[in-house]
Amino acid sequence: MSTSRRDFFRSVGGGALVASLSSMEGTAAKVFHHVLPARSTAPTNQKWVMVIDLAKCDGCGKCTQACNAMHFVPPMQQWIRVYEVLDNPEAGPYYVARPCMHCDNPPCVRGCPVGATFKRTDGLVMMDQDRCIGCRNCIAQCPYGARSFNWSEPPHTPEELSHKYSMEEGWPHRKGVVEKCDFCPEMLRAGKLTACADACTMGAVYCGDEYEDAVTNSKGETIQLSQVTKQGAGFRLLEELGTDPRVYYLPPVNRKYAAPGEPKSS
Amino acid sequence: MSSDREANMLRVLTHTSWRFYLCFGMFSVVALWGLYGYILQLRHGLIVTGMRDQISWGLYISNFVFFTGISYGGTLISAILRVTDSGWRHPITRLSEAITVFALCVGGPMVIIDLGRPDRMGYLFIHGRIQSAILWDVIAVSTYLAGCALYLYLPMIPDLALLSEMKELAPWRRKLYRTLAFGWTDTPAEKHLLEKCISRMAILMIMLAVSVHTVVSWIFAMTLRPGWNSSIFGPYFVMGAIYSGTAAVVLSMYILLRVLHLEDYLKPVHFRNLGLLLITFALLYLYFTINEYLTSVYKVEGPDRVLLHQLFFGDYAVMMWVTQAMFIAIPLLMIAGVLTLKRLRRFTPSVVALASVLVVLGAGAKRYLIVVPTLTAPFLPKTNRGDIPFNPPLPFNWVHYRPTWVEWAITLGGSAAFLLMYMLFTKLFPMVSMWETRHDEAQVEPAVAPAPQPAPQRLGSIATTVIVLIAFLLFGAGLAQAGQKRQPKAPQATTLSLEWKQEATPAPTNDGAEQAQPSAPEASGVDGVYGRLFGWLPVESRDRTQGLPPSFVITATLLGAKGQPLAYQVVGLSLKTSFGKLDYGSRPTNAEGKAQFSMQDRRYGQYPVEGTYDGGAEFAAAHAVTSVDFGPRPEPSLPSQGVLITPYATAWIGLPFLGFFGLVWAVFIYIGVYLLWFRLPQIRKQQAQST
Repeated sequence: MSTSRRDFFRSVGGGALVASLSSMEGTAAKVFHHVLPARSTAPTNQKWVMVIDLAKCDGCGKCTQACNAMHFVPPMQQWIRVYEVLDNPEAGPYYVARPCMHCDNPPCVRGCPVGATFKRTDGLVMMDQDRCIGCRNCIAQCPYGARSFNWSEPPHTPEELSHKYSMEEGWPHRKGVVEKCDFCPEMLRAGKLTACADACTMGAVYCGDEYEDAVTNSKGETIQLSQVTKQGAGFRLLEELGTDPRVYYLPPVNRKYAAPGEPKSS
Repeated sequence: MSSDREANMLRVLTHTSWRFYLCFGMFSVVALWGLYGYILQLRHGLIVTGMRDQISWGLYISNFVFFTGISYGGTLISAILRVTDSGWRHPITRLSEAITVFALCVGGPMVIIDLGRPDRMGYLFIHGRIQSAILWDVIAVSTYLAGCALYLYLPMIPDLALLSEMKELAPWRRKLYRTLAFGWTDTPAEKHLLEKCISRMAILMIMLAVSVHTVVSWIFAMTLRPGWNSSIFGPYFVMGAIYSGTAAVVLSMYILLRVLHLEDYLKPVHFRNLGLLLITFALLYLYFTINEYLTSVYKVEGPDRVLLHQLFFGDYAVMMWVTQAMFIAIPLLMIAGVLTLKRLRRFTPSVVALASVLVVLGAGAKRYLIVVPTLTAPFLPKTNRGDIPFNPPLPFNWVHYRPTWVEWAITLGGSAAFLLMYMLFTKLFPMVSMWETRHDEAQVEPAVAPAPQPAPQRLGSIATTVIVLIAFLLFGAGLAQAGQKRQPKAPQATTLSLEWKQEATPAPTNDGAEQAQPSAPEASGVDGVYGRLFGWLPVESRDRTQGLPPSFVITATLLGAKGQPLAYQVVGLSLKTSFGKLDYGSRPTNAEGKAQFSMQDRRYGQYPVEGTYDGGAEFAAAHAVTSVDFGPRPEPSLPSQGVLITPYATAWIGLPFLGFFGLVWAVFIYIGVYLLWFRLPQIRKQQAQST
């Protein structure tokens, strides 16, 4: 046992070198390669985008109703929520429908410790209920309040339970995980509008593919994305936070309906 | 005399009074009550708590911050005072190091208790993302716990060897001590090696503690929420942690003094010195608090307004003002009073301990005030008034957080578990480091002077301590992105044909700035690298396509039945997308029967473009479709927002963490494995051979 200090470090160092060299290839491949993992790659090369025309939104809540029905959204949750917003007393109130913004710089994705919520190549922020650990850091991170948590076991219907869980649809729902709007990607890929856009009687919600530079509403009206966002003074919610949302809003000018709080004319 | 006070201190190891059993029983009941609460929570989910979607973090997270803060006490007393070589620390190192370990044993699990799916906790290791502040916490707190345990154990080794010689102890206990003592024979060479281990650990522990409390604050500071989105949070949390941790040490000193009668070890000078430290920390914390609130109170930014109103005048106002008073003002006055007024000086231990009770309770309340009120002030309205169908106003308990009995049970249960562990520790191990205090006696006794150490020297060492603290705070603050298709209509036939061509260069616009932009280097050089790294590129240069998209001209030619061009007819054009038709309006044909549509859209892929001629009385309607190719779609990719949202562990964030915490672990292994397990027996053998 006359091992000297140098011998000790030589053997320990040699072992560490062998271990690090053998793990390096795998680690380097993981850290440096630029091939996206399968779950981050969308089935089609499209980029979903939504435009909500606040001048047309009359706060009827049909979008929430349709979304709740389609996704069996648990009670007390609204994946698309209609807010009444008053910027200042002189400007008068207006309605804002708020789905998940599917930000291009999503704070929730930054904060998720396990990659349960992640960005996909079609622009969507996905939510994997099989992986979520329920730490609710994403709820703290999201400035739009677009995320909800299943505080208890959600009530189930046989129809909901018969379905096999898929990330794109988000149901059956479970206890202890975070839920949010998923942008109905399976509908969009089939060329159909999302539940909320389809249900909007005012035609205020448009959705489409950014690569087509066009968005369509429930009335079949198709508008050019780059045109309306530029000429229509389109904006995104809380732009100053740098989240780069994929949902654009058109300002509530020349409204054709009663403002919030006023008696409804029709 | 030395053996007298030591025997008195060690009496607790062999003698157990009925009071111990009573307290132990009471704390066990409370801990079991907390366990029952947690079992209920596991069965029913987090619905049994007062948390809801709006206020989604509550008492558990504030407990986590509180207990990790309390854990700072041990590091402060033993590591900082060791580095500054304050001799008076010797009797209080053990009891404060124990606080660190047990507070972390309670604080760490608080995060797990807060999880919706604790069964998936292992995912943090399997699928962990280094970009998330939660993972930073997992790494930092577990490293800290390992370090604190090692740091509690190292200075205990000589004492364990002493204990294994005690005949009064049961054989199993002596065997346990002998195993843990690692065959310690108390030779000077061994002592020298151990001192080396401890002093290296001390420096490491200070750095580690600063990093841990900074990382804890980053859970909050890395969000966009008003009140949390603050750059002062790192040092603010470190300061709060030192302050409450020191108070916890004073409190446990006072309890041990009264229960174990350690008057021979814990002298008024200890309370006096720690009181001076508490005053310093209270003033520093006051300074940080003023800094934190005044900067937002002065500006009252939109979202901050609601929060500040809530804190200063609204729902949390009473709690806020009471907390500030009992956390900072009252302890400050109490300790300052007892230390300055000669008549009160003899009450020093009791008053400093009482002030510490206020500080510890105030720290808990202050953590709650950091976590909860921010969540009640979101960017978008919390709830609606109730006139929007299917979006009803939220019930009262969804927008106002009040902890339920389950949360209180788990909080109190956790505190009880902390006390139980501490009590058991006092029964198993000596609470005062015997070998270090014996060493003190050997030095002090020849002087015979029972008088207190000259004050300037003590103040000098405290001043050094404060300077080192401030230096580390500054260090912590420094740590801180077609085919042609004809569909002729029968009678007076017309033919519409479409032709498209892409214009060679983007049409120059009258806007000079836009023209200049493509030539400007976008993401090159250092600016580009960092821009890509964290998504810092300014909005203009992040633009997906440089400058303007290519421009396309689609020419519709309208010909009559005989092939003659039809002039002044209206031709419409539309483009078919996957959801509908994008209308490009209509144009009149010119003398050659041509109508030109130019588009400069951000579009990719092939699209059918349809030309329509509605016809009239004279001419029949016509219609033509051609496929326009707008160029290939970009490769599927994630937005170029830097390392924070990539699905991979990125070297840019991984390496600093690996570097720092890897270094810390390397030192742990160096000390624990090399010095202690390998080197120590060698030294002993050499010593045996030489004698």
